[in-house]
This record gives sequence, structure tokens and C-alpha cells, in this order.
Amino acid sequence: MTRGGNVLALVLWSIIVFFVIYPLSILIFESFKIVETGSLGLQNYLGFFQDGYYLKTFGNTLFLSTLVLLTSTLFGIPLAYILARYRQYGKTIFTALILLPIVLPAYAGIFAFIIFFGKYGTVNLLLMDFGIIETPINFIYGIHGLVFIQALHMLPFIVLSLSAGFTNIDPAFEEAAEVEGASGFRRFITVTLPLCTPSYLAGAVIVFLWPFTDWLTPLILGQVDYLPSVAYINIAYHFTDMHRKYMGIVAVVISSIVCIALFLVARWWVERKKYTGLSKGTTSEGRVIEPGLLIKSGSYLYMIFIAALVLLIPIVLGLSAFSRRWVFEAFPTHWTLENFRVILLETPMLIKNSFVFSTIALVFGVLFGLPAAYIIVRTRVPGKNALDFVITLMLAFPGMAVGVSYLLAFWEGIPLATHWIIMPLALFARRLPYFLRMAHSSYLQLDVSLEEASEVSGVGKLRTFLSISLPLLLKGVLVGVVMFFIMAFQEISTAIFLYRGGWETLPIGIFLNWHRGMEFGIAAAMAFLMIVITFILLLIIARIGGGILKAAWGPGGS
Amino acid sequence: MRTQALTKMLSMVFMAAFCLFAFQGQAIAADKIGWVGPVYKELAESLTKGFKQYYEKTHGKEVEVTFIHPGGWPVCLDKVRTWGDKPDADIFLGAGAPAHEVLKKEGRIVPYKPKGWDMVPLDSHGMKVKDAKGYWTCFAPWIVTNLYNEKVLKKLRLPPPKTWQDLLNPIYRGNIITTLPYASGTMHETVEIILQAFGEEEGWAYLRTLAAQFARFSTGSTDTTHIVSRGEVPIGLAQPQMNAMVARRDGYPVRDLLPDKTILVPEAVALLKGAPNEAVGKIFLDWLFSMEGQKYVLEGGYFAARTDIQFSVWEKEGVAMATHAKKALGVDSFWDLKVKFIEYDLDLAAKRWDDVNKHYEYEIYRKWGKLKDSLFLIEEVEEEIQAAKAANVETAKAEEKIKEARTLFQKEGNYAAARLAAAKARALLVGP
Repeated sequence: MTRGGNVLALVLWSIIVFFVIYPLSILIFESFKIVETGSLGLQNYLGFFQDGYYLKTFGNTLFLSTLVLLTSTLFGIPLAYILARYRQYGKTIFTALILLPIVLPAYAGIFAFIIFFGKYGTVNLLLMDFGIIETPINFIYGIHGLVFIQALHMLPFIVLSLSAGFTNIDPAFEEAAEVEGASGFRRFITVTLPLCTPSYLAGAVIVFLWPFTDWLTPLILGQVDYLPSVAYINIAYHFTDMHRKYMGIVAVVISSIVCIALFLVARWWVERKKYTGLSKGTTSEGRVIEPGLLIKSGSYLYMIFIAALVLLIPIVLGLSAFSRRWVFEAFPTHWTLENFRVILLETPMLIKNSFVFSTIALVFGVLFGLPAAYIIVRTRVPGKNALDFVITLMLAFPGMAVGVSYLLAFWEGIPLATHWIIMPLALFARRLPYFLRMAHSSYLQLDVSLEEASEVSGVGKLRTFLSISLPLLLKGVLVGVVMFFIMAFQEISTAIFLYRGGWETLPIGIFLNWHRGMEFGIAAAMAFLMIVITFILLLIIARIGGGILKAAWGPGGS
Repeated sequence: MRTQALTKMLSMVFMAAFCLFAFQGQAIAADKIGWVGPVYKELAESLTKGFKQYYEKTHGKEVEVTFIHPGGWPVCLDKVRTWGDKPDADIFLGAGAPAHEVLKKEGRIVPYKPKGWDMVPLDSHGMKVKDAKGYWTCFAPWIVTNLYNEKVLKKLRLPPPKTWQDLLNPIYRGNIITTLPYASGTMHETVEIILQAFGEEEGWAYLRTLAAQFARFSTGSTDTTHIVSRGEVPIGLAQPQMNAMVARRDGYPVRDLLPDKTILVPEAVALLKGAPNEAVGKIFLDWLFSMEGQKYVLEGGYFAARTDIQFSVWEKEGVAMATHAKKALGVDSFWDLKVKFIEYDLDLAAKRWDDVNKHYEYEIYRKWGKLKDSLFLIEEVEEEIQAAKAANVETAKAEEKIKEARTLFQKEGNYAAARLAAAKARALLVGP
């Protein structure tokens, strides 16, 4: 038994070493390389922090992170409270809508908001038509727009973690405060919120890290002085200016270090600070309140407001996808299917690539994830915790770090990057934890005695797995499969560094059509198509079982 | 039973994955050609379509075209540099003379005179249009222009800026956008135009002052076209002339602006040294300069280069773009254009290619915030001096100091010192 487990663990470890540890260590190694002499040293890092410009981008990113976290928290607290505590109709649908940005690609949101909130976008045009303003208002170009778009994208993580916190608080605590005479607001500030801190932090850290990962939003809004955008420009636009390239690599490594460090600190802190009450909670859904009419209508309005902002993304992209040249009009007037004709008939390669790469990555993910989950949950193979740890760390790694490290590691020496297989491999490495976590949590729910019974009856390990474990795991595994596929399907940060002519995927097509071409109708149609596909996949998940999804929720992002 | 179904399912998944591998890996036995270059997507698509048809017709074989488009001219040039002796493409497609001169100087291209080479002039208005030895040849000439959105300018009640000096008018502040010279060859050429037309010192002084007028920087010349077409910013600098034509054809309310000082850009093509598919590359070049190839250039939204082309003739032959080209240029052939160009020193431009890009980025773009703070303070103090003058306050010393601040700002680009001088001028105004 242990021998088989050991061999399996060895195989899994070698995959991890080859596809994760090796490229990432090349990335770190490169960041210490000195251009002139080829030897190693700290010069690049010193250069980075001594250069006023790079230092400024670092400061900008920290500042942006803080603002995004503050904004999403400010808007998230009431939202989470409403969702967790108030009894009301339509709770499920509102929850679903508010959580939607998790599965929507970040870039889809930016385009929709440019069309809607741009200088001659719908809002400004309407305001001007009604004579409320003379000249257009700048809603999105600047740090305020960045904060708005990123905070909305990350809002679900705050809401999820806070509402989990609100639900899990033992009602006895708050009742005690009430008895002692603490008013509603004071009770909330002094008792409820502090009790939520550990679970809030888990979400907050993911939100805080987003500006260290998201290179595309600042780039499209013309605000490039942020760490990931500068890294992208330095690496993707410059090939012979070595100083610049190394500054880019250093920027990627620094982003990664910040992400990993904060992720680990938050994990450690959450583990340490878990508040425990003496009594067990009385209800499984926590304390639920029937609010007064005023508060109730207020909370409805608030939920509708946030849901409308989220819904804008698919609606605006949908309108844009089916129209031609939607500019200088509050709403499109010319309807056409031309955009879809181009995507489906003229360049079907993008869709094909997206499906092929994501599917292959998924096959890798399943082939790796199932045994890995088995090793971690069912065996006592030495080093299994380390395996779990390394894979979980990939959640915090910026996609860019994976892309750049693959480019550095698999170009010369092991020239994988010259073959298209690099695309699904990178997707696999990047989305590694998604499938594993699903498989992992379903394994935890599966009683070991069932497998033991099978083995006692003389059935081999593999057959036990295929005939007993897998069917029972199927639900969780399928959710994992779909989740993995969604995440791989919309991945752009790694792919953008690795693609070559003919390997473009849908997200890259969206980026190129919007950014390098004038074809925003086509870009919108592609984004809309992706949203529709994601929606269908989500419906499948919901059919299979949403509960499993919640149990193993991982952070998203592109 | 259930196990069997499951095993079946799993094996099917494996089969599917396997098939995908096989499907992808299957190489079609077609001839190949690779292009690298900064030409716009529409041109690449048009040329791909035309050349594939032509190749099939004349060689009875399919040709597989790969187009690598990493970015603007400098980015493409850089990409070719990294390939060294083994280029990943055969043809350098696009970019103006200085980029090709750099390629030639670094020995990365080889001479080839395609059929129809004689139909392209050697030079025009003092600008080299092709290399005399055939290293590079212009296939699509254009002029460096600026772009504006007439609808938005009207809304803002602003007249279109006619000259480079006009752009410095405070009414345009925050209404202009451009990109960085390393991201776009057109911007690189614009910087060169300014430097060569105004003189180096005056040129940088102008570029510094101009930068304070920008709303922000875009990420490339197409990004600029896009932003101006959507009206997000009404004026875009450094635009190939045909961008306005294509945007107008698509229904955007934009027009090009021929500034008072500009140049002709010979968008050129060259054969890369060590090209893996040299023979197909030569066939492509021959085709590109044939009448048929030139039509696909125009259909791709670029002006065609042969001197024997008349838009009115093509219009009758059903070339849709010919009508738009005639309207955009106002003449029947690109070479009939009567535009005054500056004297352009190509050797100088090729020599300082990298330096100009770097200088602009480091001294203007990266210090953009400081630059604006400094200039705005100077302007404030200048206004205060005018107000003081009107109130009969003694201003001679302050005026002298603020002039010093201007010089520090414009000539030396020392933004901090300029601020300090401006602050001193202000102190002189209030002090005893």
C-alpha cells in the first residue's frame, strides 16, 4: 500500500517540480542575473528600488490596493450583512448576481464600462441630452476608474467572506451585547465586526493582491504606472533592452513575493485567531432578522444597485455584440449579426484554440488532481502536506509570473515554448489548485470505510478507485471539472506571454481586437460569447450541486 | 455494470484528448511564409487573402501564412534582433525608412528587387522611397498626420489645431493624446520631425511643453485612433494618414490634420537574411508589387505605391477602397499630392533611433507628473506677474527669475530647478 502511494507521490512531485518549481526558480534566478557580467547579484533589485520611476510604480500599486480594499469593504459590509441576516425574497438570485464577477473575465468588465461610462458613453450622452451637463464627465480614466472597476470585480470575495463570518457568529454573543444595552450600531461595530475579522481577512487578502496581478485594466485605461502593467510592457515590448527586461522580471518577482507573503501571513493569522465560542450555535444559518419596512426597502434598493452594476457587463457587451459601431449613441441603433459571422466563420481558430487548450489543460488537471487529492486525503505519504502547500500557493501566484517563467524556462534548453503544447501546459500549471480543491473536499466527505470494504473483499486498489470512489466522488469531481474549465477558458495573463501566431485564444482575440484593432464590436461579441459559455457551464454546476462549489471556493481572477 | 460504463467514459475522455493532439499536430503539406512587422491587422488580413488565392492559382498549392505582430516598429525591429541569424519569419512587412535602415546597417536584411520595382520612385520630396540597392522598397507610402474627432471638437467649441504651435494653445489642454515613440513608429517619426524641423534644443523644449497638454498616453498608434474615434479624447497625434480614411469609411466622425511640418513615410518591405522560406518570400514580394498585389494593399486600408496607379481607374474596376482613397487624398494618385515636407535627414534618424526613443521615455514620459507640476507653477506665476504689472507693482526681478524658470524647464528639462526658480519669482513678487 505505502509503496504504491510513494511511487504515485513521486510521479506527482516530479510533475510539480518540472512544471511549477523549475520554471519559477528560473524566474527568480534570472531576476538575480547581472546583465553586463552574467554573474549573480542583488544589482537588479537595488536598481529597481533606487530608480525613482520603478519605486513610484511600487508605491502606486500599494496605494491602489489599499483603495480597492477600502472601497470593496465599504460597499461589501452592508451587502454581506443584508445577504446574511435579513430574511427576504429573491435572496438566491441577488446572491448569484452579486457573486457573478468571480466567473466573469476581468477584461470583459473594463470594455463594458468604457462603452457605458466613457466620455461619450451612454451615461454621459444621456446627461448631455437632458441638458444636465455641458461637457462630458470623466468617470473612468484615472485612479478613480481603476478603483471602481477593480473593486467591483473583487466585491464578491469580500461579500462571500463577510457573509460567511456573519452567518457563523454564535447568536448568543450578539444577544448578550443586546441585553447589556448596546445599541444596534454599537453592537455591530464592537461585537459583530470583530468576530468576523478572521473570515474577512481571508477575502481581504485576495482583494488586496488583485492590483499586484491585474496588468490589463490599468493598461486599457491608460494608467500604466503600476507594477504588473510596467512588467508587462517591459517584457512584452522590449527584447534587446536588457536593463528594461530585467526590471520587468524584477517587477514580476516582487509582485509574486508580495502576493505569496500576504497570502501566507493571512492564512497564518486566520488559523491563529479563529474565535471560538463556548456554546455551539443554535441555528445552522446563524442569526436571521426580519427588518423593518424602511430598512427592508433600503436594503432592496442597495442590492438592486450593486446587481445592476454587475449586470451592466453582460448587457452592455450583449448590445455591443449585436450592433455595429455603437458610438455617440446612448443605445445602439444598427443591429447586425456580422460580428458573430466574423468570429464563427472567418476566424473560428480562436474558439477552436480556446476549447482545445482548455480541454487539454483540463485532462492534465484531472489526471493530476485526482491522484493528488487521493494522496493528500487518504495516505500518509511523507511530504504530502508540502504537496498540498505548494499547490495551494499557486492560488496566490500572479498569472503573469507563470507566463514569464514559462517563457524563460522553456525557450532554450527545454524548448517546449516553441510548440503549442506550452499553452495548455501553462493553463494547467496556472489553474492547478482549482480542480484539486474540488476533488480534495469531495474526498474528505467520502467515508473511508466504503473503500476499505471493497479492498477487504479482495478488489485491487485501482478497481476500488474506479468502481467505488470515483462514482461517489463524481459530483464533486464534475463541479471541479467545470470550474477548472471556466477558469482555464478565460485565462489571459499567462497566455499573452506565450502565444505565437496561430495559437491565439478567445481572451487574446478580445485583447487584440480591442486594443490593437478598431474592432470593438468583434471584441464585445467574443466577450459576450465567453460569458454565454460560462453561463451555460455555471448552470451545469448549479444542477450538479452548488453546495460543493461553496465548500471549496477558490479565488478567481484572470 | 456501472464500473464498465465508467471505464468506458474515462477511456473516451482519453481518446478525445488523444485525438485533439493528433488533430493539432497534423501538419498540412503546404508551403509556408512568415511575416513579421507592424502593419495593421486589416492590411495583414487583406494581403493574406490575396496572396493565398494568387499562390493557389499560380503554383497549384496552398500557402500557409503566419503573421507575427509584436507591436510598433521598434518592437518589431527588436523582435528581429533577438532572432539573430535564424529569423522566425521571411519578410519584414511594414515600418518606415529609418527602421529598415537600421535593419540594413545591422545586416539583418538582404537585397531583392521584386518585379515592378521600377514602378516605385527612388525618392519623393527629398525622402528616400526605396533603397537603391534593393534592400528595402516602399509598398505603401503615407504622410505623418494628426487626427481629430470633428463631432467632439464641435461639442467643445474648439477649432481644429492647424500647426504644431497651435497645439500648445491652453484651450487644447487635456484634449490631446499620443503614445510613446517606442510603442509606435509614427510617434518616433513625429519626434524626429519636431527635432529636425525645430532644431534639437528647440525641439525637446517644444516636446516638453506639448506633453503638458496631453490627457494621457495611449499604448500605441491604433490605440490612439481608437480613443479619438470613440471621442474619449478629441485630438490624437502621430497618426498614419490612412487611419483617418479607414475610420471614416467605418463611419467615425474623424478627420486627418496635415500639420505644417511633416514627412512622407515609405512603409516598406524587406527580405530577412537567412529567411527559412526565401523562395516563397520572393514570390510574395513579386506579387506585392504587381497591380493585383497593390490592390490588396489598398483594400487593406493603405495607399498603394506604384506610380502607374489611378484611383479613378480602380474605382471603375470595382476596388471599393479606391473611392475612399480618392476622397481622403483629394487626388487620383498618392504621388500627385502637393505637400510641403521638411528636409529629413534619414542617416541621422537611423543613427539616433534608440536614443530618441529612450530620451523621450525617460525625460518626458516617466517624469510626466513632475513636468506638469513644474510647468503649471511657472504659468501661474507668469499670470501673477501680469496681474502685478496691471496693478503697477515692480516686477522686473520677478520677470527675470520666471524667464530663468522657463529656460530651466524647456532647455534643460530640470523640472525641480524650474519649480524652485518659479517659487523664487513668486517670492520676489510679494517680498520687499
